[in-house]
This record gives sequence, structure tokens and C-alpha cells, in this order.
Amino acid sequence: MTISTSDKPFLTRVKESENDHFMQQSVAKAQDAQWDKRTAAREELGNWEQWRDLGEQIRQHVIKYLPDYLEQFSDNVEKKGGHVFFAQTDEQAVNYIKKIAKEKKAHRIVKSKSMVTTEINLDKALLSLPETSLMETDLAEFILQEDNWDEPTHIVFPTLHKNRDQIQKVFNKLGYSGSNDPEEMAKFARKYLREYFMQADLGITGCNFAIADNGMINLVTNEGNADLTMAIPKTQIVVMGMERIVPSLKEAEVLDNMLSRSAVGQKLTSYCSFSGPQVSGESDGPTDFHVVILDNGRSNALGTDFEPVLQCIRCGACLNVCPIYRHIGGHGYGSIYPGPIGAVLSPVLDGYEKFGDLPFASSLCAACTETCPVRIPLHQLLIKHRKVMMDKLKMDHSFNNVLMKGAGVATSSPILFKIALEGAHMGSAPLSKSKETSVDNLFNYGHIEKAPSLASGWTDVRDLARPPKHSDDFRSWYKKHKKEQQEGASHD
Amino acid sequence: MTNSNREVFLDKIATKAGRTRHQLKNHPFVPINDLPESTLAGKSQDELLELAQKNSEAVHVTFEKTNRISLSTLLNDFLSAKDINNLILPTCDKWAAFGLSDWENKLADSAEFWTPESSRTENLAKVNAADGAIGFADYLLAESGTITVATTPGQGRGFHFLPTHYLSIIPKSHILSRSRQAMHKYEAAIASGKLTTSNINFITGPSNSGDIEMVLVVGVHGPLDMTYVVVEDL
Ligand code: SF4
Repeated sequence: MTISTSDKPFLTRVKESENDHFMQQSVAKAQDAQWDKRTAAREELGNWEQWRDLGEQIRQHVIKYLPDYLEQFSDNVEKKGGHVFFAQTDEQAVNYIKKIAKEKKAHRIVKSKSMVTTEINLDKALLSLPETSLMETDLAEFILQEDNWDEPTHIVFPTLHKNRDQIQKVFNKLGYSGSNDPEEMAKFARKYLREYFMQADLGITGCNFAIADNGMINLVTNEGNADLTMAIPKTQIVVMGMERIVPSLKEAEVLDNMLSRSAVGQKLTSYCSFSGPQVSGESDGPTDFHVVILDNGRSNALGTDFEPVLQCIRCGACLNVCPIYRHIGGHGYGSIYPGPIGAVLSPVLDGYEKFGDLPFASSLCAACTETCPVRIPLHQLLIKHRKVMMDKLKMDHSFNNVLMKGAGVATSSPILFKIALEGAHMGSAPLSKSKETSVDNLFNYGHIEKAPSLASGWTDVRDLARPPKHSDDFRSWYKKHKKEQQEGASHD
Repeated sequence: MTNSNREVFLDKIATKAGRTRHQLKNHPFVPINDLPESTLAGKSQDELLELAQKNSEAVHVTFEKTNRISLSTLLNDFLSAKDINNLILPTCDKWAAFGLSDWENKLADSAEFWTPESSRTENLAKVNAADGAIGFADYLLAESGTITVATTPGQGRGFHFLPTHYLSIIPKSHILSRSRQAMHKYEAAIASGKLTTSNINFITGPSNSGDIEMVLVVGVHGPLDMTYVVVEDL
């Protein structure tokens, strides 16, 4: 599992991110611009809340009947002459893909942007094959690859942390001698990548949605590289998280509309494609078509309170409204899945030992939940993660380290602490009531029973834990427990 | 057998979810509302045309309206305005329906055609060398300024992505309100056997990217510009 993007401790990453002023400005600018575009696109559609109801219903339904839909989809892919491989782990997926690459004697591989292939570290595995080259063809992913495989910082805008001068330097290494003008640089990338494309023998794509009743895959993009990846090479391998499925073209169409509006404020992105293996009479498109369906920890969410995280359509809107993401950017999270969705998903996929600190990197302001097009109760799930960790602590004291690390996140970083306090306390304090301090509630300072409108809807059924007030002594509580923990450790 | 690992995988996720497999047939998806159908419903073809123009121009498309008589002149103007020297055209039976048989015949020697007889390499080399493409769309979606095209033996996938400039011809009667209506058409055509295709593209304006400092750059991998020509046929 390689969703980690850094070996450094969380607070070190936060500190580094805080010092990256260009990144902070870029994220703030992007968040503000996307806010306007997203809001306008949703308003123009009208009835946005009812569209969210529909989006949520589609996603909940397919997760509920996931094995049935995957079975139907794989039957239909095979009817069309394609192949489906079910991979429980990243290793199984990578081995299968390497096997196909070897069988096909693939030497030039083109890839279009896919988070799930980043998750399984596919690029490096394929590059370990003899005489094999590989090109990320999405402009942002191409820049990251050529910049020594720098890590993405956003699930929709992976190079948000880079400025034009940095990109110009990356391109200079490839023979570019033009200015730092984005258009001129994009033209260079077009020519450079086009030459590579025309020689490519294997194409690898992700999948926004798999269409169960006809075996097609749906990709939603803006640049056109994904469509070239599906047109030119003779072999295509699609890699998809097992939850990325819809019943039919109709539901794909609904979600494409919601995804485009939520991700980039467009009614539809430039290219929404529905595709499968070449049929008789056609001359381009893959004659050999493989779909790899990946679990890799996703099933940890099934049957638990975290199941709604599988509804995610990766629009990135929750990142674009998050005050914490605004300050620490993608790299601060240390996961390829950053922001609120990353803080919920990363511990599900890869455990609390590695990502137990992320659920604490939140102000619980509920802006993420409010914007999510498929109504994932993100901040509620963050609280749930904290609760699960507390329960684990009760059962298993060795878990102390993980919990303390996480609790430290909320208190040891001045910026996170400030956002948490200001964000969550604005308007919430008058609604809260005092409760006796107990370890079950990590923030031992009261529960909210009626939330302000931002969080309305879900506090009717569940209390929201409140963060400490400025004047309260959560830091003392934390310090005391840290001391106990250290004393405990010294006795081991 | 590619399916050998499927049952283990599906059984495992069913167990983890605590739900029995094969329940779907008794619980098919029934949408909670009819927004995909009712949004923009009941508009006349003239209203849809107006909306399509507005929304296409909003995504940087050059939008033209014409009739069968003026169409060939408009296409010639496009070729000279874009200074197109290597034109690619599809192989299809639509030329006559748009009054373009003579126009197409005149270009037979100078233009390249995507042909069912050519190999993958030959067709892709032709479109890659083309600085202009003129093709036919199946539908135009008014809400988003989107053309839709299903891949056919005479108009392959690469046809829409590799040329530098791109023009698409759409009959006015094929303007639909939204993507939902297009999906109904495609599902029906596939189910009845009228359409056999491996690929359906919904294309909304030219290729673009905001990957460098969020500055909108048009024409990254696909065509640098798009022209839609709606032809009066009603
Ligand atoms: S959690 Fe919701 S808002 Fe965030 S990326 Fe997923 S679908 Fe979008």
C-alpha cells in the first residue's frame, strides 16, 4: 500500500506546508475561484439539493448491491471480449498488469490520470520491466513525473503547488527553450507527448464509473489524453476501485453532470467517454481490453459506519472548501488522498497506525459535508474515526501512541489549533451543553445537540463532539496524558 | 479463465458487508426523482437551438447555423479561414442527406478519408497528419453545448482527437435538451441492434487544461478549436 506520500511526521509536514507561501496562495486562489464556478454551475442546474438526493441514492444503492453489480459488469465486459481481474491487494493488481505488459511485449506505455494507479504505485513497477518506458500524459501528471515523480497535492489539480517558473525549469530539461507562458508550455507538452502517443503499445486508464449493464467504462476528462490512451494502443488496461460502478448509462450521465459541476464548475467536462473493446469493423481502440477491479482496503468500510466513504466520486469539492486544506495543502496530509475525503479514507485503506492523525486535522466546520454532491457525512465520519480510536485505546493501551499522535495534531500545531477553535466555535458555543469529562469524548468539553445550519440535518440523530474552548485546558489534558504515556513507556 | 478469482472476491465483500449476494433482481434501482428527465423538458426545437448556441459559445465553440444549400460554402470558408491543407473526412452515407455529395466528390483527391478498409496504423497516421477534420455528430446537447458521437468503422475514435481544427455537422432535429435524452437514444439504438459501437464520446468544446497555475489553456491534446454547424432540416 503506497498511499503515503511522506515518511515525515504529520506536524513536520504541516510546518513545511506553512512555510510554502506560494502553495498557500495557490490553494487559496483555487479555492476561491472554484467556489464561484461551482456555485454558479450548481445554481444554473437548479434543484441542487434534490440532485444530491439522487446522487446519494445512486451511490448508496450500488454499494449496497456491490457484488451483484460487479458480477453483472464483469459478465458484460467478457461478453464483449474483454477480461476482468479481481485484485484483493495492490500487489495482485500490479502483478497482473505486469504480466499483461510482458505478454504483450509492451515497450511504450501511455497512462492517463488515475488516482488508483498512484495508490498501487504502478508506474514504478512497470518501469522496472526491461526495455519499458512509460509516460503520464495528463499535463499535471506529466509535470510531476518529469519533476522526479513529485507527489500530487490535489485529487483534481495535482500540480496546484507548482508555479510557472518551476514548470518551465522542468520542461527546460526536456529541451524546451520557450517562456514561462502556460499556453506556450502546454503547446510544447502537446507536441512532446503526441510523438510518444503515436508509438504507444499499451494504454492504462482509470475509470470514473463502470457501467454494469453494458460493460463499458466511463471517463470524465478535459484534455483528451485519456481518449488518445483508449484510441491508439492495441491493448488497454483499466484500473478501478471496486466501488466505481453504476447500474447503467443513465446513472453515469447523472453522476458525470454532478462530478463536472462539483469538480471544475463545468456543466460537462470537455470529454465524457463511454468505452470498451474494439468491435468488428472498427480500426482503432483496444483489441485487447482488461479491467482490474481493486479492493485494497476498500472493503474495510463495508458493513461499518464508514461505508458512506465508498460513495465518493472524487470531485475534490470537499478539498476546495476546507479551511485546513487551505493552510496545509495536499502534502501536509501525507496521503495521495488529502483533504476531508483523504482524512476519512486514508485510515480506512491503510489503518490508524499510519493515518490516525488525519481525523484530527479538521475543524469539524462541516463545510465538506455541505458541499459533497453525494452527501457523504464527512465530518461525522471524522468524529467516528476519533471515537473508534478512543475505543481501541480502552481495549489496547499500546494504541496510546497512535492516539496521542493524533490528538497532538489538533493541539501542537498553532495553525491547526487556531482554525479548529475559531472554525468550530463560531456560533456553536451557545448551542452546546456541558457534560462530564470522559475519555469517550476526545474533546471533553461538551456536546452540540443542535448545530448551526451548516451542520444541520445530522445532529438530530447524533451528537457532535465539540473542540475545546480557547480558555479550556485541553492542552493540559493532552500534556498530562502525554506525560503518563511517556512514564508508561519508560516502565516497559 | 479470467473469472477464477471473481467468486472469492465477491463472496468476501458480501461477507464483510453482511449482505447476501444476488438480491439485486428483487431490488432494481428506482430513482428517487425524475430530475434528469424533467430538467429543461418541453422546449421547442427553436428554443433548444438558442440554448445550444449560448452554451456552446460559453465553452469557446464557434457556432454556425445554416441550411443545406449554404452548407458547402460554409465548409469552404472554414477550410480557408483555418488554412487547412490536410483535411480528413469520415466514410459515411450522410453526405447526400446534407446536400454535400458534389462537395465531397470534388475533395476526393485532395482530402484524406478515415476508411473501414485502412488499418489502425494507416487511419491513425492520416488523422495525426490532418490539420482539420469535418465530421458528423449524432446529437447536440443544448444544456451543455456538447456534441455526441458513437464510433463507427468510417469515423473512428482518433478522428475526434488528433486533428488540429475540428468541425462537426449536426442536423437541427438532433438537438436534445440534455445528456439524459442522448442516453435514451443510445440505449435504444444499441438494444435494437441499429448501433454497434465500442465507444461513445460526449465532447464539450475544445480540449483544455488548468494545470499550470489554473490558467485556462485551450487545446492540450485534442483539437485546438471546435466549430459546430447546425443545419436546418425541419
Ligand atoms: S467526499 Fe464528496 S466532496 Fe469529497 S471528493 Fe468525494 S464526492 Fe467529492
